[in-house]
Amino acid sequence: MSGNTLIAPIKPADITDPELKALIDRCKALGVPDETFPGILAHVPSYAKALLRALLMSHAEGGVDHRLKEIIRLQLTRRSGDPYFGALRSTVAKKAGLDEATITAGCDDYERSKLFSEKEKWALRYADQMYMNAASVDADFYAGMKKHYTEAEIMELGAFIALHYGLQVFMRTLAPR
Amino acid sequence: MATDPGAIDAAFYDRLRKHYSEEEIVELGAFVGFNIGYHTFFGTLKFYPMFSPDGRLVDQQESERIYGDAPVSLAATGGGKS
Repeated sequence: MSGNTLIAPIKPADITDPELKALIDRCKALGVPDETFPGILAHVPSYAKALLRALLMSHAEGGVDHRLKEIIRLQLTRRSGDPYFGALRSTVAKKAGLDEATITAGCDDYERSKLFSEKEKWALRYADQMYMNAASVDADFYAGMKKHYTEAEIMELGAFIALHYGLQVFMRTLAPR
Repeated sequence: MATDPGAIDAAFYDRLRKHYSEEEIVELGAFVGFNIGYHTFFGTLKFYPMFSPDGRLVDQQESERIYGDAPVSLAATGGGKS
């Protein structure tokens, strides 16, 4: 969809900043995002570098299973209504065994699914409730999460969810309609 | 973008371009998206500004008294008190 976004991405050949090019290569290798979103951000190279670093770090690094984060990311695209990020798949998660059936289960009725542990369901619930019913993510909710995750892991998940959801909403507005 | 992203369409961007460059629109869009995501997350953590409206450094209890017992950022997502 790169040619039709409401703000055209900068062509890869026209991006000369070596740091930005290296980040875009890392994005392409992961598969999330592909060249389109970085190309749009590249209109503001300083923003592009900061946001791509944060996107990559929050999604592909840290202590929480990348496959679980990939399911969460795709669950969030249903909330944000963004077709672009919803169509992308992490090559790393796929190589690690994440399949479409598990992604669908995580995006649908994960509470009743036998594919997820109680710990994984808390992370899915965290993302699900954050933008559906944020008031339910209260002290009791965090107390429940802390039975399964360290505070560092909860911050890692929260920051990941917030960043990806927010940028999905922005990208949604740029999608051709 | 925060309350009705479906309304941000091609015509909306055309109007924006009359006042802002594409660079500025990308800067604004990324900034707004970033804040949409983070304010709701921060709202669930229930922390409050360190400073009162008149610039005094205040503790969290006093800040909560000043700014309310439900962060404003939760209101748009069905979180704040109605």
